[in-house]
Amino acid sequence: MFAGIEKRLPAHIKMYGFPICHKLNLPKDSGGVLMRISRKNKKRKPAPADTKKDVNAKENINGQLQESLNIIQKIFNKTPDLTIRPLLIKQTKEQAFLVYLKSIIDSKTIFKHILKPLLFEEGAEKDGAKWEVSLGPFRKTMDWNQIEDAVLNGECVLFVENSKEAFIFNTPEFPKRAVEESKIETSITGAHIGFTENVDDNIALIRKHIRNRELKIHEMTVGERGKSKVSILYLEDVANPDVLEILKKRIGNLKIDAVINAGILAEYIEDYPYAVFPQMLLTERPDFAAEEILQGRYAVVVDRSPTVIICPATFDSFFKTIDDYSSRWIVASFIRLLRFVGFIIAVFLPAFYIAVISFHFEILPLELLFSIAESRERIPFPPYIEAFLMELTLEMLREAGIRLPEKIGQTVGIVGGIIIGQAAVEAGIVSNIMVIVVALTAVASFIIPNYEMSSAIRLVRFPMMILAALFGFVGITAGAMMLLAHFLVLESAGTPYSSPFAPLKLSDWKDSLIIFPQKYQTKRPLSTKSKQIKRAEFNRRDGGQNGR
Amino acid sequence: MAGNAKETISLLQFILLIHSAQFGLGVLTLPRQLAEKSGTDGWIAIILYWFLATAVSFIMIQIMKNYPQGTIIDLISHYFGQWLGKAAAAVFAFYFAVFAGSAFIREVLFVKLWVLRGSAVPVILLLLAVPSYLVVRKNISILGRYVQIVFFMTMWTMFVYFLTFKEAQFLHLLPVLKEGWKPIFEAVKTLILPFAGFEIILFLYPYLKNKDKAAVGAVIANTLTTVMYLAVSIGAFAFFSPDEITIYHEPEMMMLKVLEFTFVERLEIALFSFYLFTMSSTVLPVIFFTAFCFSKFAGQKKHDKFVILFLVFVLLFVFVYPPTYENIKYMQEFFVKCTLIVSFAFPLLLGGYMWLYNRWKTKGAAQ
Repeated sequence: MFAGIEKRLPAHIKMYGFPICHKLNLPKDSGGVLMRISRKNKKRKPAPADTKKDVNAKENINGQLQESLNIIQKIFNKTPDLTIRPLLIKQTKEQAFLVYLKSIIDSKTIFKHILKPLLFEEGAEKDGAKWEVSLGPFRKTMDWNQIEDAVLNGECVLFVENSKEAFIFNTPEFPKRAVEESKIETSITGAHIGFTENVDDNIALIRKHIRNRELKIHEMTVGERGKSKVSILYLEDVANPDVLEILKKRIGNLKIDAVINAGILAEYIEDYPYAVFPQMLLTERPDFAAEEILQGRYAVVVDRSPTVIICPATFDSFFKTIDDYSSRWIVASFIRLLRFVGFIIAVFLPAFYIAVISFHFEILPLELLFSIAESRERIPFPPYIEAFLMELTLEMLREAGIRLPEKIGQTVGIVGGIIIGQAAVEAGIVSNIMVIVVALTAVASFIIPNYEMSSAIRLVRFPMMILAALFGFVGITAGAMMLLAHFLVLESAGTPYSSPFAPLKLSDWKDSLIIFPQKYQTKRPLSTKSKQIKRAEFNRRDGGQNGR
Repeated sequence: MAGNAKETISLLQFILLIHSAQFGLGVLTLPRQLAEKSGTDGWIAIILYWFLATAVSFIMIQIMKNYPQGTIIDLISHYFGQWLGKAAAAVFAFYFAVFAGSAFIREVLFVKLWVLRGSAVPVILLLLAVPSYLVVRKNISILGRYVQIVFFMTMWTMFVYFLTFKEAQFLHLLPVLKEGWKPIFEAVKTLILPFAGFEIILFLYPYLKNKDKAAVGAVIANTLTTVMYLAVSIGAFAFFSPDEITIYHEPEMMMLKVLEFTFVERLEIALFSFYLFTMSSTVLPVIFFTAFCFSKFAGQKKHDKFVILFLVFVLLFVFVYPPTYENIKYMQEFFVKCTLIVSFAFPLLLGGYMWLYNRWKTKGAAQ
């Protein structure tokens, strides 16, 4: 019934949808269907960037130089760095002009390899090409949209008289920095090299580690205004193809202005954006990324971002560093365990303190109870206010330390350490024990190698503190149950986040809480569901020569 | 229905789901109840009951083999028609609701008695309802993972319990069979409640990945529960003198009170809070199947609404009818009667019917 009404509507009303009911005076129940349509339309935000509004955008170039020039100038008006260089090709005596944005091209290349051959060299090649330049890759196009994109990407475009195609030369030179060590993920014995803001460099850094033909790259483009290239790197004969499909779908469906960095993309493609824990691993280290690719995971390299997204990630993968593999396994296992202990301390210690002081002081031995009571004697606040005060101060100090320039940053340390710590105790605002608790929590949260994870952990401890203040140990247990439930439900790119703990994958335990000696690590993790499980032979010292 | 490939459980999860549904709450009062009936010989009853529980579990698995792609409700609607299927869903929903309700209230009472004396029952219930909802609203495999991780996380509490054995006098157990077999057979009845929970096999079976191992899994689960109960009961019998044990409502808790270390006094408070994990792994599977059966009854695919509905109902229930240990006892007695019907009479009858039906069918086919 309503379908008929809809058909009869003029197209422009259908588009807006909203005022239909009033305009046509439809009965009230018919509003249901139409309102649903209208709501859908209302929800859909306007396309982020309607950049293709320019005149003639849909037409192809027609070989008339003057007309092309006009169109170019119309597209790039108010663009002072646009350079148009008219020229006469010496080889064929044709009129032509070259267009580029001078701020983002390599002028030396343009002069040496395009302008010089075209302007000064004689004699066309024998194979029919009319003129030659000494530059490797170039492509032809008739499409104005492509031309526009090319110019914006730092390429230069050559229009030749009577040619219905324009020639695009790859000459970009965006400002970039040199490849240097990552400042966030430092390592003692790993490679001292980190990703940069250039997608090609980043791919090169990964390729440097995996020189294998099975390393495939799936390229996509994201963003309407600031188009950026997103490359998914994986080993085709190892990685689970389902994950690739999920990634392709999620990235392909994105309609946004621009992806400024990998963090934004990670948030868009995460399985549970409302979760506390990060489900995509972000790294700045090529060796770590390469290691994860070899394990059967996917690396998503986003242009202009120095971080690379690794997925599917599991909870324990946030506790790994590349140093674990370069130091000896006993030491590495100890440190790995320490990090998990650190996780527990960072989440539960302040809550435990609150619960003990305000509910269950009877579990403390008498001597300790007396010394705590002594130090809390002058404190007017209940333990939870004391704890919140100190924990918030700690968070502020930490944030201040990050945002301040290095020279002023030291002041924060002095202010935090001496004035707030010592003076607050002496003034009777917080107790000694509380300062110890806060310091321990801080240290524990700092040993989590992944920044995202360590921030998540710091956040989780506040609800724990509230629960502890309300219900003591029972509150902490309930909080832990909620955390556990949350942790079990999460998935990363369709694979369980809590593996290898639950679902229990015993063979993955060789590299989770502790690290087994390298020679026993012959399999890729089962949690990634990789196609090829085996990654190494069991290497005997004698090379398997003597017996068995 | 096990339509979704993601909704499967491994054999270990199958075992632990059954074990967790049994263990956890009944164990608190078990040694006292056994001792009341049969003195220190009560542990023999546990072994006797093990045979019973395992046998019935076998029958359940045999029944489920007839329709491996669905739960018992699907099986009944397949063989007896949709209306009886609905009726079965309603019966099971009611049964699990009583089970889950009594267990959940019991859990809350435990917390109130041993840890949070000052808090009101509905408040504690609300606190525990939130994590319960978070686990149960998803599918069976999340629940399986939860139970699994909780089992391995809480295993160490058993060793803490063993620490109390240094005060125990194992002479209390002798002589065996001091009053003959009769009191022991009477004590078997008290085990219905602690062993209740293996009937979830009827619902777990279709989700099990490796169905050939179901029987092995059921045996292991029942054996695990039996071993735990034996350890706990024998420990309690040896720890208390034969008459003293009946004084305490929950004797194991009293045993843990003797534990004391130089660095922590009264460890049991922390331990009781931690025991919530074990209790939750008993309650959560049952809440899950309550909601599951209600959703089947209502003909809906998702069950998460029914979890909320159930939890709200329990909350209202404790408001209207403030629970005490006495009240909960009546509830549990009622539940024991339900268990006799649902986990003994029902599988025996249905199993017999299926056996006859299959025989008749194969005979018919042969002719």
